[in-house]
This record gives sequence, structure tokens and C-alpha cells, in this order.
Amino acid sequence: MNPILVLGGGPAGLSAAGELAAIGAPTLLVERESYLGGNPVRWQYSLLAPDLHPAEDVMGPLLRRVEGSASIERRLGTTLVSAERSAKGYRVGLKNADTVETREVSAVILATGFDHFDSRRKFEYGYGRYPDVLDFKEVEKMLHEDRIVRPSDGQPPKRIAWILCVGSRDVQVGNPWCCRMGCVVSIKQAVEVRQKHPEIDAYVYYMDIRTYGLWEDLYWKSMQDHGVKFIRGRIGQVTLAEGGSRLLATGEDTILSRPTEVPFDMIILASGMEPSAGTRDVASLFGLPVGPEGFLTPRESDLNPVDSGIPGLFLAGAATGPKAIPDAVTEGMGAALRAYQYARD
Amino acid sequence: MPIVEKSLVEVERTETLEVDGIDVSGDWNTFLKSRVSSDLDARILDWVKGEPQGETISRCWQCGTCTAGCCMHTDYGLTDFNPRYFIYLAQIGYEEELRKYATTIWRCVSCNKCVERCPKGVKVEEVVHRIGSYLTATGAAPESPADRFDRAYTKNLLRRGVLDEAELFREYERLEGRKTPTRELLRMAWTLLKSGRLHTGPLAHRTRGWSRMRSVLEAQLAEDDRAHAPRSRGPPAGGPR
Ligand code: SF4
Ligand code: SF4
Ligand code: SF4
Repeated sequence: MNPILVLGGGPAGLSAAGELAAIGAPTLLVERESYLGGNPVRWQYSLLAPDLHPAEDVMGPLLRRVEGSASIERRLGTTLVSAERSAKGYRVGLKNADTVETREVSAVILATGFDHFDSRRKFEYGYGRYPDVLDFKEVEKMLHEDRIVRPSDGQPPKRIAWILCVGSRDVQVGNPWCCRMGCVVSIKQAVEVRQKHPEIDAYVYYMDIRTYGLWEDLYWKSMQDHGVKFIRGRIGQVTLAEGGSRLLATGEDTILSRPTEVPFDMIILASGMEPSAGTRDVASLFGLPVGPEGFLTPRESDLNPVDSGIPGLFLAGAATGPKAIPDAVTEGMGAALRAYQYARD
Repeated sequence: MPIVEKSLVEVERTETLEVDGIDVSGDWNTFLKSRVSSDLDARILDWVKGEPQGETISRCWQCGTCTAGCCMHTDYGLTDFNPRYFIYLAQIGYEEELRKYATTIWRCVSCNKCVERCPKGVKVEEVVHRIGSYLTATGAAPESPADRFDRAYTKNLLRRGVLDEAELFREYERLEGRKTPTRELLRMAWTLLKSGRLHTGPLAHRTRGWSRMRSVLEAQLAEDDRAHAPRSRGPPAGGPR
């Protein structure tokens, strides 16, 4: 059997590759970055919402299973540059540095994932201009290292605001969808901050809190046990205050029906999830259908969420839309099974 | 906000605009500045949560179920009495706005409908009282005659361990700046004297061993006052407001 190609080494791709190895299928795992693990490793996620498990406890086993397997051929720093249908599978061109290698694969799992929204595009919030306006993916690293300080002066902040839905639910940046993770991750970060530093005040600005299903529990606890405060209203702009030493969040407190301007020491943006560059590339290389949001769309999203509808092409993880790690892992498993069935028959 | 006519504006939502010392807000072609909420004080919430009575305040997510069924708000029609809103102001620490309700907040009739209905298990009735206590303790609510009477009563009782009604009456008159006509006073004194209840001055009753008891009570009262004093964690102004 020609190997099954898994494109993308994030949680979904690692899960798919690990499952394929477990059932004894030869696997070719291709990752465009120089390391495996995807966004969680890239941004050094701290604790994972909603159960507050350390990210290592989840990513570690996924990585070790793949790295310890003899039947998984790993190609890092490698991108897919061509793909054409061959006998039953695909003939793909894989580019590493300057060399392109052609391989025959029996099936393809696309686990090309998402990119965090580039918060500079929401310029009103001053990300990239004001050092103390941070993107929440950067805060993960701070939490991980337990060094919660203002980048501008290295001082610990006294009051932090989280702004939800940055680059999500916003036609101005072309992203009308909900990122699904921003609420729970921001709340988790606020809880982490308050657990480690109860002297820091934490405010979350929200339009809706979407901690769906059982995640609601973390939201409730964040208020009751950790004193995180929630202000309803979307911040319109962030400017400098107090001679440039603090940030001023201006918005409308829609419960008060009143403008609000509150100084903060640090502002954290819950940047949304967009189809990654890799996801967009594979869509055009394989001629895959994409939805209006740019994510890949399974042909039968409820019956066969991991089938692209094109023979031999399977989908897993955030390439089809914003997704939590457990969902990506589950889809990786499903896609592995479907790809194996296809390659074997 | 360009303004047409000042009488159309809710003044408490705006700042006054002065030009050369003249208040021009609301005149033609002038602008009103919206009042902005900015001085959030996290210590209000800490204070409210500092006693079991206020502990559940943080659970509130502002759904409005409590206000919707509140006897005062909905049935009696006192729309200024809005338990959900009081909770929000205390949660976010918007003291200036909260102070406006320093007397209204005491209109709760403790029917507890709100507590029965709150989907988050907030003990709304208790929390509202706790917020009211904050306002009273910080001097936001003017002291009522009843409060002054309470103080005079406690002071009087502490003196000898038994109430001296005549003295209490005199003290209360003084506090309220009231003066009962002498004829009326004499009539009351005569009635008390006849019934053997005018125990004042040299005739006052005392409690045996009272001074020891009194020092214990006074210490306890001082302790309570300290525990209830808001902002015991720091100075009121400045800091991370
Ligand atoms: S999950 Fe929360 S932060 Fe993200 S877009 Fe949805 S509502 Fe906004
Ligand atoms: S019913 Fe409960 S949660 Fe809803 S606004 Fe009232 S106190 Fe808050
Ligand atoms: S207990 Fe007070 S706040 Fe609650 S419904 Fe009754 S009057 Fe309203």
C-alpha cells in the first residue's frame, strides 16, 4: 500500500497519523513548519480550557506517539506544491527548501488547521502599536512561564481587560463567524491570572458569552470563585491614557446605556480563528469546495464530517472551521479510519 | 452630542459645559459631553462579598429575572428600584452611579421572589441589603431619623445597662432639633411619675456590675464597626481606580 498522506502536524494531523500507525498503515506526515504540534506548540499554550489541563499533557502524548512510530515518515519544513489524481490515489509534489520530490500516496488527510486572526487588522485596538495590547495567544506563553508583566515596562499589571470577538463576528474584517474558542480561552486566562495573582483585577468585555455545553461551568466559576468581572459592550477603540503609561478602553457599557472609558494596564485581544494559509493552499490545489468563510466544507457535514466528497480526500480539525483540541483529535481518528478503508479497498 | 434643548436631556448623563464661566450646556449650537463611566473601584465588590450576606453577588449575569418579578419594581412600579442594576453597579465598581440609589435601595420589602427565581442562585434580597449597607457605611445615604434614634438608644442603654426613657427623649429632641412645648413635657412627666416609671437623674436604675459588662460590649461594638467599615484595605482615592 502506498502511504497515506497526512497534511498538517497539529492536533488533528497528529491524531490521524497516530491512529494510522496503530492500525499498521504506512503514513507520510507533512508539516510546513520545522516542528510538529501546530498552534498549541507554536504559541506555547498554557492550560487548556475548560478543564485546565496543562497543554503538555495533551500535546505530549500526541507528539510522542508519532515521533516514536517507525511506520510514520515525517517531513518537516515541507509544503505541498502539486497534486494530481493517479490510478487510485494521488501523485503529490512535496517541496522542502529547493527540492521537489514526487510521491504516490493512496489517500490524503487534510489537517491544515487555522491561523489566529492578525489583530493588527483591527487597528482601532492598537495591537502592534501599543506594547501592552496583547493578543491572547501571546499571553499563553506568559501564563506558561508565569511572567505576567507589561511588555512596555516589565511591571506587573494591576488591571487587565480581555476584549472578546476580535476579528470574529465582524463584517468589517470579513469574518462574520464565531471563533468558538475566544470566550472560553479568555475566561480561562482570566482564571489563571486570578489564581496566580489575586491582586490583579480582571475584566472581560463581551457581547455574548459563548461557553457552550459543559464549558459553562468554567464561566460560572470564573465569576463566583475567581471574581472575574464581565462588562457587556464591544470596545470601540483603545487609546493611551495617563501620559501614555496606561491604556484607555472606550466603549459603551450596554447595561448602563452609557459610554465607558476605563484605564487598564494591559489589554488582551481574543483574536479569532481563520482558515490557515495551508488550508487555503490545499483548497486550490485539490479544487476543494470552500464555504463562504474560506474553510473547507465536507460534502455531508452531519453524516460524514470527515469526507471531502472527493474520492481519497479526507478532512480533519480546524481546516473545516473553528474547533477545540478534543474535537480536532476526534476528527483525526475518524479521518484515519475513513482514509484507511479507502486505501485498503 | 449636539443639543437641541436642555430640558430634553437627562442631566445626570451629561457633563456641564462651561465657557468663560457660563454654563452653556444645552444651548443652541453647543455640545454636551456624555458622562463617562471610568472610575471602576474593585473594592466595592470585595466589600460586598466580605460577609456571607453578599457572597453570591458574583454569580449574577444580569439576566433581569429578579427585577422582572420584583414587587417594588414591577408590582409597585418603583422602576428606580432595580435589583439587577444595583448588583451590576456593585460588581463593576461604579460607585458614583450606585450612590444615587442610596435611599431607594432600602425600599426592598424582602418578599424573596427574586431569590426564588434567580437562575444563578444569587441571594438577591440579601445582596441588595448588603449593597445598601455599603452605601450607608460610606455615608452615601443620609442618616435617617431612625438611624439617629438607634444611635441615641444604644448610647443610652450602654450608660447604665437599663434604659432611661426621659434622657433618651431629651437626647433625641436635641439630635432632631425639635422642641416639645413645656406644657406637653410636664404632662408626660406627670404621667410617668404617677405610674412610677420616671427613673431618671437621681432616681435612675442601674445594673449591678455594669461597668465590666459595658467594657466588653463597647469593645465588641468597636470591633463590629471596624469590620464593617468599607475600604479597610486602603485609601479611598488614588490607587488603581
Ligand atoms: S467564541 Fe466568544 S470570543 Fe469567539 S467569536 Fe464567539 S462570542 Fe466572540
Ligand atoms: S435573576 Fe439572578 S442572575 Fe439574573 S439579574 Fe437577577 S440576580 Fe442576576
Ligand atoms: S425581595 Fe426585595 S428585591 Fe427581591 S423581589 Fe422582593 S422587593 Fe424585589
